[in-house]
Amino acid sequence: MPAANIIQLRQLLKEKMPEVRLSLEELPSQRQNHWATGLARIDEPLHGGLPKGALTEIAAPHRSSGSALLLHALMRKAADENQIVALVDGNDSFDVTDVDETILARLLWVRCHSAEEALKAADLLLRDRNVPLVLLDLIANPLAQVRRVPATTWFRFQRIVEQSSTVCIVFTPQPMVSPARARITLPSTRFSLEVLDRESEELVSELKLEVSDARRARKVNELLRNSA
Amino acid sequence: MFAAIFIPNFSLQAALRHEPDLRSQPVAMIDPALPKPNIVQLTEAARVRGVVEGLTASQSMARCAELLIKIRSPAQEQIATDALLQTAYAFSPNIEATAPGVCTMELKGLGLETEAAIRAWADQILQALAGLEFEARMGLATTPALALLAAKATRRFLIVRDSTEFVATLPIAALDPAPEIVAVLKRWGIRTVGALLALDKADLAERLGPETIRLRNCVSPNAARPLKLVAPKQVFEEQVEFENEIETAEPLLFVLRRFVEQLARRLEVIHLVVEEIHLQLKLSSGAVYEQVFKIPAATGDIETLFRMLQTHLEMVRTDSPIVALRLEAKPCPPETHQFGLFETTLKDPNQFAETLARLTALWGSDRVGTPVLESTHRPDAFHMKAPEF
Repeated sequence: MPAANIIQLRQLLKEKMPEVRLSLEELPSQRQNHWATGLARIDEPLHGGLPKGALTEIAAPHRSSGSALLLHALMRKAADENQIVALVDGNDSFDVTDVDETILARLLWVRCHSAEEALKAADLLLRDRNVPLVLLDLIANPLAQVRRVPATTWFRFQRIVEQSSTVCIVFTPQPMVSPARARITLPSTRFSLEVLDRESEELVSELKLEVSDARRARKVNELLRNSA
Repeated sequence: MFAAIFIPNFSLQAALRHEPDLRSQPVAMIDPALPKPNIVQLTEAARVRGVVEGLTASQSMARCAELLIKIRSPAQEQIATDALLQTAYAFSPNIEATAPGVCTMELKGLGLETEAAIRAWADQILQALAGLEFEARMGLATTPALALLAAKATRRFLIVRDSTEFVATLPIAALDPAPEIVAVLKRWGIRTVGALLALDKADLAERLGPETIRLRNCVSPNAARPLKLVAPKQVFEEQVEFENEIETAEPLLFVLRRFVEQLARRLEVIHLVVEEIHLQLKLSSGAVYEQVFKIPAATGDIETLFRMLQTHLEMVRTDSPIVALRLEAKPCPPETHQFGLFETTLKDPNQFAETLARLTALWGSDRVGTPVLESTHRPDAFHMKAPEF
């Protein structure tokens, strides 16, 4: 078929079905650089999902704010995509009996006893670059222990992760990962006893989430400062 | 046409394969199996300092104080022979294990028509052997015996086109005759093979016996014999018995690195990669430490293989020092893998295996892995297993 005919056919298809992507170049670059969590309340503010090759912080300053629900939801989404997930469990607090075996089959679980051990394990896994989703859970660690993590550690992680397409999510008891590209804060969510019988997918949709794109926020701040 | 690969001082070269720096140093070898364990082979540096074959170790040390004495090791010679034959077999299917350090190959059917093609072929063989730390020489001629004489006469590579011209200036000693015949020929003033061939064959046999017939046949261009063909063993191993007991990881890793390099190169020549590594450490207490490493994605990459061993050895503690090391590689054909569109396998399984080994070394196998729920009445029962991604 002559090249001109192919171009015409593509043009025609594009007009008739604008939602169909006809070549790789047309893929929005944003979508390539993000991992869609399947949760619209996260994906939309972050323009497609959690950033790849960057740190994302999920901060849960209050107890019972739903961080475990969110963790399970992310793991479920990764398992649906047949992805390998590494969970670096800072205080060996992950409850495996609460998770489907299909999710567990694609899970590498590192059971640490301190934040220091967890950071060491995360460092090794990020340098490995084989695991597309690394979850570093420090929520159950004592706050004093987590506060002792030097800020340079997070910058080092950022440098490692930006050379790959790994999605690295750090669960912290309070916002502290300054180079995080995206930050999700979980205010306290009090579920009544009745809702606890509902499916976890439903509960996730009821979580209160404050999502911010740190890079965009920094750019806006810079613009405001310059204009002032 | 035949080609002969000749490795001079084969026993010494076999012993120095993993210490190539010593080849330029004064080193001599004694054979403890002999009734008088005198020097049997030595390096050029030792010869320059006055050491010769037949001296005792103490006599040699008196002439050269810095002389290093090595003990002949039949095990290392066997490994070196295997390496030589495996390399030769990669270049010709018709090979003969003529003698220790000598391999004869037939060029028939290899399609080497021009001299340039033969030279390129021989150069590849010599380079492959140099990679295995062998200083080899090659000779090509119309008979196996002439090819070996050519290999012994050259420093690297020689093609004998005119055998009469080649043997004319060859010293009699090159034919390795009996000492009494050498003495008689010397008295007659016969120094070269050319001069020997000028004598009448029947008269010579009448005076010096049938040995002279053998000598003449050695250099005859028509005395081509069929090769006793061999197929090399498909065993790829390296081993060493340490002169001093090893107590720390550094010297062990140094030798292991050399072993991995050698095994990877031996396999590279025959287009194979490593599928499994068997490590064996013999301890001074008589105990043996053994470990089998299954390579997740078969590879010939030296760094990957060595890192795997290094990571494991970092967490190994033995009760007594190490006296011997043996490393065996199980080969397999290289596999190419194309990732599927919807497949989410590991990009680099070997790297992942190493990371897992590191994590396991740090915190133990019960704290790193994939959780598996147990089918029991205890609702929270689970165990950890190695990930199978």
